[in-house]
Amino acid sequence: MAAAAVAAAAAAGAAADVEDELLKDRVGIGWRPALAAAILSSLDRVDVVEIIADDLFDVSNTELRAVRTLAAQVPCVLHGISLGLASAVPVEALRLDRMARVVEAVQPDFWSEHLAFVRGGGIEIGHLAAPPRTDATVDGAARNLERARSVVGVAPLVENIATLIEPPGSIYDEGTWIQKVLLASGTGLLLDLHNLHANATNFRFDPMQFLAQVPFDRVTAIHLAGGKWIAGSIGERRLLDDHLHDVPEPVYQLLTEAGARAERPLTVILERDGAYPPFDRLLAQLDRAREALAIGRACAAERQAA
Amino acid sequence: MSAPAFEAFLAHLYVDATTRARFLVDPTGEAERAGLSSDECQTLSRFDWVGLELAARSFDRKRQQTLHRAGRRLGLWRRVTRRFRRIMGTAAQEGSP
Repeated sequence: MAAAAVAAAAAAGAAADVEDELLKDRVGIGWRPALAAAILSSLDRVDVVEIIADDLFDVSNTELRAVRTLAAQVPCVLHGISLGLASAVPVEALRLDRMARVVEAVQPDFWSEHLAFVRGGGIEIGHLAAPPRTDATVDGAARNLERARSVVGVAPLVENIATLIEPPGSIYDEGTWIQKVLLASGTGLLLDLHNLHANATNFRFDPMQFLAQVPFDRVTAIHLAGGKWIAGSIGERRLLDDHLHDVPEPVYQLLTEAGARAERPLTVILERDGAYPPFDRLLAQLDRAREALAIGRACAAERQAA
Repeated sequence: MSAPAFEAFLAHLYVDATTRARFLVDPTGEAERAGLSSDECQTLSRFDWVGLELAARSFDRKRQQTLHRAGRRLGLWRRVTRRFRRIMGTAAQEGSP
């Protein structure tokens, strides 16, 4: 009897540990080939890894099993970049099938994609383009997200994108449009804070006011990144979200605000696509993110206690 | 408004320098030639010209990078698997959990 009681207490403790882990904020980094060795050697400082799903679309089943092995050692999430879900055009079934195969094989904590269109009229744009912010794209995004849920088995989180051009033909501002998409689709939001910072800088709106509009009960993931100023032929500069620079301080401030507002545990991912500094500098940015998030959480706790 | 047609028009604008050059000279004419309605053409009257130049340049750069990335993707996970096995093997020898 005593042994059974001990075993039951141990099981309850283990379950509580798992539950505690699920309630914690996590900070991690995007998986990139050039960073793979360093990431694998630093798993004590990386809570979670984000893998680009499209990198796995054409790999063999053997290679997918290798990814599953990685996922067994460190929590993994998947991030798609080419579905083009925020479009009035239905997403192609083949593309969803490929995503479903990868999600099934890797079993990530979640998968995500962008509120973007990436093709039109048979043309591949080559990257994420902001769609016209209209009722047609709200409805189109909701339909595509439902199709994604149906084929993949679970809907993705959707990410706000950076745009260098004010989307032509728009009738809504970005915050309103995103709210409408979330309401129509029922999905969660991956809030990219550098994309927000870039858009707010380029199109002159207050990012804090944007955050005040965000339904934070839907936010469970955050992206951090850096960028640089670029200039056009007539001299006007805009901030480009290039993922090739360190996270700037205003983005950490937005992370603190997000931490104060978020109602659920957050998975925070640092995105770096090149111009890699020594890995310790990337780890320092993860630590800075933890610090910024903790400050936000502390503010929220103080407000609740007051 | 045909939203798919409007998206197609934007895709051409972002990707094709010739379409862009014609649009810069005659936005309404180019939009009409693309089959957009008069309402759709009207929405283009307030256009972000600076953004169009910068976005087109950025999209072109990304298309070039995608071509290079596709070549590197093959064999990626084989290399990762080998490296992962080496690390886990080393950890086992050192008695790490």
